[in-house]
Amino acid sequence: MFSEELKTFRRLGFRHVLLQILNFASVLASGLMIYKGLGLITNTESPIVVVLSGSMEPAFYRGDILFLVNPQNKRYEVGDITVYKIPGQDIPIVHRVLETHDVVKVVNGVRQAKPLPENQLLLTKGDNNYLDDRKHIVGKVRGYNDFPQLKYALLGGLGLLALVQRE
Amino acid sequence: MHSIYARINNVSATLSTTIMVLLTAIALSSFIFTGGPTGSVEVTSVKVFSGEARRYPHRRQEYAFVNFNITADLTPLFNWNTKQLFVYLEAEYTNAKGVRNEVVFWDRIVRRKEDAVIAVSGKNKYPFREVSAKFKNSTPANYTLKYNLMPFVGMLTYGEAARVTEPIDFPLARERVE
Repeated sequence: MFSEELKTFRRLGFRHVLLQILNFASVLASGLMIYKGLGLITNTESPIVVVLSGSMEPAFYRGDILFLVNPQNKRYEVGDITVYKIPGQDIPIVHRVLETHDVVKVVNGVRQAKPLPENQLLLTKGDNNYLDDRKHIVGKVRGYNDFPQLKYALLGGLGLLALVQRE
Repeated sequence: MHSIYARINNVSATLSTTIMVLLTAIALSSFIFTGGPTGSVEVTSVKVFSGEARRYPHRRQEYAFVNFNITADLTPLFNWNTKQLFVYLEAEYTNAKGVRNEVVFWDRIVRRKEDAVIAVSGKNKYPFREVSAKFKNSTPANYTLKYNLMPFVGMLTYGEAARVTEPIDFPLARERVE
Protein backbone atom coordinates (compact mmCIF):
# COMPACT_ATOMS: atom_id res chain seq x y z
CA MET A 1 0.00 0.00 0.00
CA PHE A 2 2.67 2.47 1.06
CA SER A 3 5.35 0.91 -1.15
CA GLU A 4 5.19 3.79 -3.62
CA GLU A 5 5.59 6.37 -0.87
CA LEU A 6 8.39 4.41 0.74
CA LYS A 7 10.18 4.23 -2.59
CA THR A 8 10.02 8.01 -3.08
CA PHE A 9 11.08 8.42 0.51
CA ARG A 10 14.19 6.30 -0.12
CA ARG A 11 14.91 8.15 -3.33
CA LEU A 12 14.79 11.54 -1.65
CA GLY A 13 17.16 10.49 1.07
CA PHE A 14 17.72 11.22 4.70
CA ARG A 15 18.79 14.85 4.25
CA HIS A 16 15.56 15.74 2.53
CA VAL A 17 13.52 14.31 5.38
CA LEU A 18 15.58 16.33 7.84
CA LEU A 19 14.96 19.46 5.79
CA GLN A 20 11.26 18.77 5.82
CA ILE A 21 11.26 18.47 9.61
CA LEU A 22 13.25 21.71 9.84
CA ASN A 23 10.71 23.47 7.63
CA PHE A 24 7.88 22.25 9.79
CA ALA A 25 9.63 23.37 12.96
CA SER A 26 10.29 26.84 11.52
CA VAL A 27 6.63 27.23 10.61
CA LEU A 28 5.64 26.38 14.18
CA ALA A 29 8.30 28.66 15.64
CA SER A 30 7.33 31.65 13.50
CA GLY A 31 3.69 31.19 14.46
CA LEU A 32 4.60 31.25 18.13
CA MET A 33 6.85 34.28 17.58
CA ILE A 34 4.06 36.27 15.93
CA TYR A 35 1.69 35.37 18.76
CA LYS A 36 4.14 36.35 21.48
CA GLY A 37 5.17 39.50 19.61
CA LEU A 38 1.53 40.56 19.42
CA GLY A 39 1.28 39.89 23.14
CA LEU A 40 4.24 42.20 23.76
CA ILE A 41 2.68 45.03 21.73
CA THR A 42 -0.79 44.70 23.22
CA ASN A 43 0.50 44.01 26.76
CA THR A 44 -1.55 40.88 27.26
CA GLU A 45 -0.49 37.33 27.88
CA SER A 46 -2.81 36.08 25.17
CA PRO A 47 -3.74 38.64 22.47
CA ILE A 48 -6.10 36.26 20.70
CA VAL A 49 -8.58 34.17 22.65
CA VAL A 50 -11.35 31.82 21.70
CA VAL A 51 -14.62 32.19 23.58
CA LEU A 52 -15.24 29.08 25.64
CA SER A 53 -18.53 29.80 27.38
CA GLY A 54 -21.91 31.13 26.38
CA SER A 55 -22.05 33.80 29.07
CA MET A 56 -21.78 36.66 26.57
CA GLU A 57 -24.45 35.39 24.20
CA PRO A 58 -25.88 36.70 21.94
CA ALA A 59 -22.78 38.82 21.43
CA PHE A 60 -20.12 36.14 21.52
CA TYR A 61 -20.82 32.49 20.98
CA ARG A 62 -18.57 29.58 21.75
CA GLY A 63 -15.75 29.34 19.27
CA ASP A 64 -15.70 33.02 18.32
CA ILE A 65 -12.32 34.69 18.14
CA LEU A 66 -11.53 37.82 20.16
CA PHE A 67 -8.59 40.16 19.81
CA LEU A 68 -7.46 41.67 23.11
CA VAL A 69 -5.49 44.71 24.21
CA ASN A 70 -4.49 45.72 27.72
CA PRO A 71 -3.27 49.32 27.60
CA GLN A 72 -0.86 50.07 30.40
CA ASN A 73 -1.72 52.80 32.92
CA LYS A 74 -5.18 53.21 31.50
CA ARG A 75 -8.31 52.68 33.50
CA TYR A 76 -10.99 50.29 32.47
CA GLU A 77 -14.33 51.85 31.72
CA VAL A 78 -17.86 50.75 32.18
CA GLY A 79 -19.02 48.84 29.11
CA ASP A 80 -15.61 47.39 28.34
CA ILE A 81 -15.63 43.68 27.79
CA THR A 82 -12.87 42.13 29.84
CA VAL A 83 -11.27 38.74 29.75
CA TYR A 84 -10.01 37.66 33.13
CA LYS A 85 -8.58 34.65 34.85
CA ILE A 86 -9.40 33.87 38.43
CA PRO A 87 -6.40 32.32 40.18
CA GLY A 88 -6.81 28.58 40.47
CA GLN A 89 -9.09 28.37 37.46
CA ASP A 90 -7.74 27.67 34.03
CA ILE A 91 -10.58 28.93 31.89
CA PRO A 92 -10.55 32.68 31.16
CA ILE A 93 -13.90 34.42 31.62
CA VAL A 94 -15.33 36.95 29.16
CA HIS A 95 -17.61 39.45 30.90
CA ARG A 96 -18.64 43.05 30.58
CA VAL A 97 -17.71 45.66 33.19
CA LEU A 98 -20.81 47.01 34.93
CA GLU A 99 -19.25 49.07 37.69
CA THR A 100 -15.89 50.72 38.17
CA HIS A 101 -14.69 52.21 41.43
CA ASP A 102 -11.44 54.18 41.26
CA VAL A 103 -10.04 53.96 44.75
CA VAL A 104 -7.72 56.86 45.58
CA LYS A 105 -4.79 55.82 47.71
CA VAL A 106 -4.11 57.68 50.94
CA VAL A 107 -0.40 57.94 51.71
CA ASN A 108 0.49 59.33 55.19
CA GLY A 109 -2.94 60.86 55.54
CA VAL A 110 -2.69 62.70 52.22
CA ARG A 111 -5.08 61.68 49.50
CA GLN A 112 -3.30 61.18 46.20
CA ALA A 113 -4.37 63.44 43.34
CA LYS A 114 -5.06 60.78 40.78
CA PRO A 115 -6.47 57.30 41.10
CA LEU A 116 -4.09 54.66 39.81
CA PRO A 117 -5.41 52.01 37.47
CA GLU A 118 -3.97 49.36 39.79
CA ASN A 119 -6.42 50.35 42.51
CA GLN A 120 -9.49 50.09 40.39
CA LEU A 121 -12.30 47.84 41.55
CA LEU A 122 -14.43 46.28 38.87
CA LEU A 123 -17.73 44.50 38.91
CA THR A 124 -18.49 42.41 35.89
CA LYS A 125 -21.82 40.99 34.94
CA GLY A 126 -22.52 37.36 34.92
CA ASP A 127 -21.79 35.81 38.25
CA ASN A 128 -21.28 39.02 40.19
CA ASN A 129 -17.60 38.50 40.80
CA TYR A 130 -15.81 41.28 42.60
CA LEU A 131 -12.34 41.72 41.28
CA ASP A 132 -10.06 43.24 43.82
CA ASP A 133 -7.06 43.20 41.62
CA ARG A 134 -6.39 44.22 38.08
CA LYS A 135 -3.67 41.62 37.94
CA HIS A 136 -6.14 39.00 36.91
CA ILE A 137 -7.26 40.86 33.85
CA VAL A 138 -5.79 39.64 30.62
CA GLY A 139 -7.14 42.40 28.42
CA LYS A 140 -10.19 43.99 26.91
CA VAL A 141 -11.80 43.03 23.68
CA ARG A 142 -11.01 45.38 20.84
CA GLY A 143 -11.72 43.42 17.74
CA TYR A 144 -14.05 40.65 17.00
CA ASN A 145 -14.41 38.00 14.37
CA ASP A 146 -17.67 36.18 14.00
CA PHE A 147 -16.30 33.56 11.73
CA PRO A 148 -15.19 30.42 13.55
CA GLN A 149 -14.97 28.43 10.34
CA LEU A 150 -12.12 30.66 9.24
CA LYS A 151 -9.99 29.48 12.13
CA TYR A 152 -10.41 25.83 11.27
CA ALA A 153 -9.93 26.53 7.59
CA LEU A 154 -6.75 28.51 8.20
CA LEU A 155 -5.25 26.11 10.72
CA GLY A 156 -6.19 23.06 8.70
CA GLY A 157 -4.99 24.64 5.48
CA LEU A 158 -1.68 25.74 6.92
CA GLY A 159 -1.07 22.37 8.53
CA LEU A 160 -1.88 20.60 5.30
CA LEU A 161 0.36 22.90 3.29
CA ALA A 162 3.26 22.47 5.68
CA LEU A 163 2.99 18.72 5.36
CA VAL A 164 2.28 18.58 1.67
CA GLN A 165 4.78 21.08 0.33
CA ARG A 166 7.80 19.47 -1.24
CA GLU A 167 9.66 22.53 -2.43
CA MET B 1 3.77 21.42 -11.87
CA HIS B 2 0.18 20.43 -12.56
CA SER B 3 0.00 17.82 -9.87
CA ILE B 4 -3.03 17.53 -7.63
CA TYR B 5 -0.97 18.85 -4.70
CA ALA B 6 -0.04 21.99 -6.57
CA ARG B 7 -3.64 22.59 -7.48
CA ILE B 8 -4.92 22.14 -3.92
CA ASN B 9 -2.14 24.40 -2.77
CA ASN B 10 -3.03 27.16 -5.21
CA VAL B 11 -6.77 26.97 -4.61
CA SER B 12 -6.46 27.06 -0.81
CA ALA B 13 -3.93 29.91 -0.93
CA THR B 14 -6.23 31.99 -3.13
CA LEU B 15 -9.21 31.16 -0.94
CA SER B 16 -7.56 32.16 2.33
CA THR B 17 -6.10 35.36 0.89
CA THR B 18 -9.47 36.37 -0.55
CA ILE B 19 -11.25 35.71 2.73
CA MET B 20 -8.68 37.70 4.71
CA VAL B 21 -8.84 40.65 2.30
CA LEU B 22 -12.64 40.55 2.32
CA LEU B 23 -12.83 40.48 6.11
CA THR B 24 -10.39 43.39 6.39
CA ALA B 25 -12.41 45.35 3.84
CA ILE B 26 -15.63 44.72 5.79
CA ALA B 27 -13.97 45.70 9.06
CA LEU B 28 -12.63 48.92 7.50
CA SER B 29 -15.97 49.69 5.86
CA SER B 30 -17.59 50.33 9.25
CA PHE B 31 -15.50 53.51 9.55
CA ILE B 32 -17.48 54.98 6.64
CA PHE B 33 -20.75 54.87 8.56
CA THR B 34 -20.49 57.81 10.93
CA GLY B 35 -24.15 58.56 11.61
CA GLY B 36 -24.72 59.14 15.29
CA PRO B 37 -27.80 58.38 17.34
CA THR B 38 -30.18 61.00 18.68
CA GLY B 39 -32.14 60.88 21.87
CA SER B 40 -32.85 62.24 25.27
CA VAL B 41 -32.82 60.83 28.75
CA GLU B 42 -34.33 62.25 31.91
CA VAL B 43 -34.20 61.01 35.46
CA THR B 44 -37.58 61.51 37.10
CA SER B 45 -36.72 60.46 40.63
CA VAL B 46 -33.84 59.21 42.74
CA LYS B 47 -34.55 57.60 46.10
CA VAL B 48 -32.11 56.07 48.55
CA PHE B 49 -33.13 53.37 50.98
CA SER B 50 -31.17 51.59 53.64
CA GLY B 51 -31.31 47.82 53.54
CA GLU B 52 -29.40 44.68 54.32
CA ALA B 53 -26.25 43.94 52.37
CA ARG B 54 -26.63 41.02 50.06
CA ARG B 55 -23.96 38.67 51.27
CA TYR B 56 -23.61 40.01 54.80
CA PRO B 57 -26.98 39.80 56.55
CA HIS B 58 -26.07 42.03 59.49
CA ARG B 59 -24.42 44.84 57.57
CA ARG B 60 -26.40 47.88 56.45
CA GLN B 61 -26.11 48.99 52.86
CA GLU B 62 -27.78 51.82 50.98
CA TYR B 63 -29.54 51.20 47.71
CA ALA B 64 -30.44 53.89 45.21
CA PHE B 65 -33.59 53.58 43.14
CA VAL B 66 -33.67 55.57 39.93
CA ASN B 67 -36.68 56.16 37.72
CA PHE B 68 -36.00 57.42 34.22
CA ASN B 69 -37.42 58.08 30.77
CA ILE B 70 -35.46 57.31 27.64
CA THR B 71 -36.33 58.17 24.08
CA ALA B 72 -33.62 57.40 21.56
CA ASP B 73 -33.32 56.67 17.87
CA LEU B 74 -30.40 54.31 17.34
CA THR B 75 -31.22 53.34 13.74
CA PRO B 76 -28.25 55.30 12.26
CA LEU B 77 -25.94 52.86 14.05
CA PHE B 78 -27.26 49.90 12.13
CA ASN B 79 -25.26 49.13 9.02
CA TRP B 80 -24.34 45.86 7.33
CA ASN B 81 -21.55 45.17 9.82
CA THR B 82 -23.64 45.73 12.95
CA LYS B 83 -24.29 42.57 14.88
CA GLN B 84 -25.89 44.14 17.90
CA LEU B 85 -25.96 47.19 20.11
CA PHE B 86 -25.47 47.14 23.84
CA VAL B 87 -27.23 50.20 25.25
CA TYR B 88 -26.69 51.12 28.88
CA LEU B 89 -27.54 53.83 31.36
CA GLU B 90 -24.66 54.89 33.54
CA ALA B 91 -24.38 56.98 36.69
CA GLU B 92 -21.10 58.70 37.45
CA TYR B 93 -20.28 60.28 40.81
CA THR B 94 -17.59 60.59 43.44
CA ASN B 95 -18.34 59.38 46.94
CA ALA B 96 -17.37 60.92 50.29
CA LYS B 97 -14.06 59.02 50.31
CA GLY B 98 -13.03 60.40 46.92
CA VAL B 99 -13.65 57.15 45.03
CA ARG B 100 -14.85 57.84 41.52
CA ASN B 101 -17.65 55.50 40.58
CA GLU B 102 -19.25 54.52 37.31
CA VAL B 103 -22.26 52.29 37.72
CA VAL B 104 -24.50 50.73 35.09
CA PHE B 105 -28.00 50.18 36.39
CA TRP B 106 -29.97 49.53 33.23
CA ASP B 107 -29.06 47.97 29.91
CA ARG B 108 -30.62 46.54 26.82
CA ILE B 109 -29.39 44.53 23.87
CA VAL B 110 -30.71 45.69 20.51
CA ARG B 111 -30.31 43.14 17.76
CA ARG B 112 -32.51 44.42 14.97
CA LYS B 113 -32.95 47.75 13.26
CA GLU B 114 -36.70 47.52 13.88
CA ASP B 115 -36.05 47.58 17.64
CA ALA B 116 -33.59 50.46 17.48
CA VAL B 117 -36.10 53.16 18.38
CA ILE B 118 -36.16 53.04 22.16
CA ALA B 119 -38.87 54.54 24.32
CA VAL B 120 -38.57 53.31 27.88
CA SER B 121 -39.80 54.68 31.14
CA GLY B 122 -38.45 52.40 33.78
CA LYS B 123 -36.43 51.84 36.91
CA ASN B 124 -33.04 50.36 37.56
CA LYS B 125 -32.51 46.77 36.52
CA TYR B 126 -29.44 46.11 38.66
CA PRO B 127 -28.99 47.03 42.33
CA PHE B 128 -27.38 50.45 42.58
CA ARG B 129 -25.13 50.28 45.63
CA GLU B 130 -22.27 52.30 47.03
CA VAL B 131 -18.90 50.67 47.75
CA SER B 132 -18.60 52.51 51.05
CA ALA B 133 -22.20 51.47 51.85
CA LYS B 134 -23.44 55.10 52.15
CA PHE B 135 -24.38 57.70 49.56
CA LYS B 136 -24.07 60.50 52.12
CA ASN B 137 -21.82 63.41 51.01
CA SER B 138 -21.42 62.00 47.51
CA THR B 139 -21.23 64.46 44.64
CA PRO B 140 -24.32 64.79 42.43
CA ALA B 141 -24.41 62.07 39.81
CA ASN B 142 -24.22 62.49 36.04
CA TYR B 143 -26.52 60.17 34.14
CA THR B 144 -25.57 59.15 30.63
CA LEU B 145 -27.05 56.86 28.02
CA LYS B 146 -24.21 55.09 26.21
CA TYR B 147 -23.93 52.44 23.58
CA ASN B 148 -21.47 49.80 22.48
CA LEU B 149 -21.63 48.80 18.85
CA MET B 150 -20.60 45.21 18.30
CA PRO B 151 -19.75 44.39 14.68
CA PHE B 152 -19.64 41.07 12.89
CA VAL B 153 -15.99 41.65 12.08
CA GLY B 154 -13.78 44.46 13.34
CA MET B 155 -13.39 46.87 16.22
CA LEU B 156 -15.88 47.46 19.00
CA THR B 157 -16.93 51.10 19.15
CA TYR B 158 -18.34 53.04 22.07
CA GLY B 159 -20.34 56.23 22.12
CA GLU B 160 -22.77 58.42 23.96
CA ALA B 161 -26.40 58.69 22.87
CA ALA B 162 -27.83 61.12 25.41
CA ARG B 163 -27.09 62.73 28.74
CA VAL B 164 -29.06 64.26 31.58
CA THR B 165 -28.39 68.00 31.43
CA GLU B 166 -27.71 68.61 35.12
CA PRO B 167 -26.12 66.37 37.74
CA ILE B 168 -28.65 65.08 40.25
CA ASP B 169 -28.06 64.88 43.99
CA PHE B 170 -28.59 61.76 46.03
CA PRO B 171 -31.23 62.34 48.70
CA LEU B 172 -30.73 61.26 52.30
CA ALA B 173 -31.34 57.60 52.96
CA ARG B 174 -34.71 56.51 54.24
CA GLU B 175 -35.26 53.48 56.40
CA ARG B 176 -38.64 52.47 55.05
CA VAL B 177 -40.99 53.23 52.19
CA GLU B 178 -43.76 55.61 53.18
